[in-house]
Amino acid sequence: MTITRRNLLLGAASAIAYTQLSTLQTKADIKIASKAGDQQMVASMCRALYPHKRFAENIYMDVAAGAIKKGNADTGSKIMFRVGLDGLQAKKFDKLSFKKQTKYLKSIEGSPFFNLVRGHTTVALYDHKQVWKILGYEGDSFSKGGYKKGQYDDLDWLPNPRIEEHPDLAAFLNDSSPTKYASSKIIKTN
Amino acid sequence: MKIDKKEKAVVIIGTGPGGATVAYELTKRGIPVVSLEAGPRIMKEEYKNDEWPAFSQMAWLDKRTMSGNARIVKDFNGLPSWLVKAVGGTATHWAGATPRFLDYEWKTKSTYGNVKGASLLDWPIDGKTMKPYYVKAENAIGSTHRGGRPPLPANNNYKVFAEGAKRNGYKFYATGPYGTNAAPYDGRPASIQDGFNFQGDKSGAKWNPNVREIPRALKTGKLDLRPNSQAVQLTHDSKGKVDGVLYIDTKTKALHRQEAKVVCVAGNSIETPRLFLMSASSMFPNGLANSSDQVGRNYMRHLTGSVYATFDKPVNFYRGETMAGFFADEVKNNPKRGFVGGYYLETLALGPSFMGAFLEPGGWGKDFADMMDAYQNMAGMWIVGEDMPQPNNRITLGSSKDQFGLPAPNVHFDDHPNDTAMREHAYKVGEKIYKSVGAVQTWRTTPYPHTHNLGSMRMSSKKKDGVVNKWGRCHDIKNLFVSDGSVMTTGAACNPTLTIVALAIRQGEYLASQLKKGNI
Repeated sequence: MTITRRNLLLGAASAIAYTQLSTLQTKADIKIASKAGDQQMVASMCRALYPHKRFAENIYMDVAAGAIKKGNADTGSKIMFRVGLDGLQAKKFDKLSFKKQTKYLKSIEGSPFFNLVRGHTTVALYDHKQVWKILGYEGDSFSKGGYKKGQYDDLDWLPNPRIEEHPDLAAFLNDSSPTKYASSKIIKTN
Repeated sequence: MKIDKKEKAVVIIGTGPGGATVAYELTKRGIPVVSLEAGPRIMKEEYKNDEWPAFSQMAWLDKRTMSGNARIVKDFNGLPSWLVKAVGGTATHWAGATPRFLDYEWKTKSTYGNVKGASLLDWPIDGKTMKPYYVKAENAIGSTHRGGRPPLPANNNYKVFAEGAKRNGYKFYATGPYGTNAAPYDGRPASIQDGFNFQGDKSGAKWNPNVREIPRALKTGKLDLRPNSQAVQLTHDSKGKVDGVLYIDTKTKALHRQEAKVVCVAGNSIETPRLFLMSASSMFPNGLANSSDQVGRNYMRHLTGSVYATFDKPVNFYRGETMAGFFADEVKNNPKRGFVGGYYLETLALGPSFMGAFLEPGGWGKDFADMMDAYQNMAGMWIVGEDMPQPNNRITLGSSKDQFGLPAPNVHFDDHPNDTAMREHAYKVGEKIYKSVGAVQTWRTTPYPHTHNLGSMRMSSKKKDGVVNKWGRCHDIKNLFVSDGSVMTTGAACNPTLTIVALAIRQGEYLASQLKKGNI
């Protein structure tokens, strides 16, 4: 692994985190991100990754809760997640402008913490039932009898197209000189 | 019917379009068959109109690994393909497009010439041979626009697609051919435009073997269907003929053996070669039927890629059948475009759940979120084109183990420069189509985990060039057949299911006649 400033910082931070974890481990099984404000901090990262003005805070909080749960899956994840969270807190990530948040996220892109939170968020956020509603997605359709005429084809800003095949299609597909039709339709690259 | 495990039976491994079709062709002629299926039998009432739960319900999620330079190797390393593990196979979640091979696509070596790095080869069969079987397959599936069957109506996604194609001077667009009934046909209802084709089809309007071939084969009384029975090894006698199949009951983990006089393998292009390789013995140290060293090679997945676009007005593209738009103008081989072969464009819609995961794997940020935010105003299409066969794109036994302790398959896939050039061209055409009808934002989506898995058990006239002959019968072992898309010598531009069914009908007829003549 090439040593970059980021790796070095993460390495140092994880050593501290590990010491803290092992001290605490003797008292009770510790959970990361259990302090007040931790979930909001992770939620702010989820929002910065996938910024939707229309999505209420509780949605990102739900997604953050799922990410934290994955962070608590095992000791390795706990250490990794703790380091990532420390990084957000050190930067006061939730107070940064969107531009600065994006810059920070780019700087940690590809780290295990980033991968966990991003990978979880892209699945959990767009699978959230409240999000479906906001995006205008109706979900299950069979139980409602599918879509009727006037629903599946309610787009009214374009003309109604032909649905049958073009009369020349069979000749086109069967033509043994393959370039005859295609050559008239070369799309220039660039 | 119950067939004794000690009885030397005709054993078919896999119940997808290939395996189920052969099973039906044999049983309807009175020949008893044991069908082994690795997955459960899921009935249409059990399918879910919800993307992730449906994925968990039916996807093949056994351990697999990937290598190679294709982007999917990085994005979805453990999930090279998106296949179904259930009775009916991957047709359970197919969208239903049923184009045929073009005549010259059976002989691409002769048509395209030598393409550096590609192992093109002419099939040992041609369009003339296959024509009657295509008609039978279309009638079995119920392809729209064929055999007097009506087209599907235009849904919102198609309206955008067709008008965009028209404004660019294209003309070969239509709502099919698709294997979903526009009108009641063959005992199945017409579409109720409920979408969710990728999650199974709750209405039964869409063909798959679990609504036609399997129930009909069961009705003959000649089929012993064994779900949750995953084949793990083929055994052979001292003369090198196959004499049995070892399989695991996936529920109890118990190992069973079925005696066999003939075995047809239809496990799709990853599991079929894997089974042949896992069947290595002292007589066949490199795996069964592998004297040519071709087992597992020339694996193809079609070109694929998607273009999504958002508009300033609503589309609601998820309403209605998932795929119901088809575009053929760019399918003809025309090397002036900078590549050989061609491609189709087909409408496609995903729900927000899958869109979030697949629009741009690894993607994040404002552009991504803007695209998702306009979900209601989104239209989408899929690119399906011919990819080049390459000998090193192959299935091997990897070092990882599956849940049974068996070697997991490794899928190696490098994009050929021809694939990359064709995809680039198709992206541009897709963007032009959407821009001409007012796209606000367009997005080039990289290939999903492979749904079209082809090659790896190549059909060839010469033994040295492939694994099976023109009937799908192994060159090396006379009572061993391959009955799925892995036999494809080259992949053509078209979606493969219709061709798999047509080949299986033909093979079933042949196998039945050989069995009746006592030649096997």
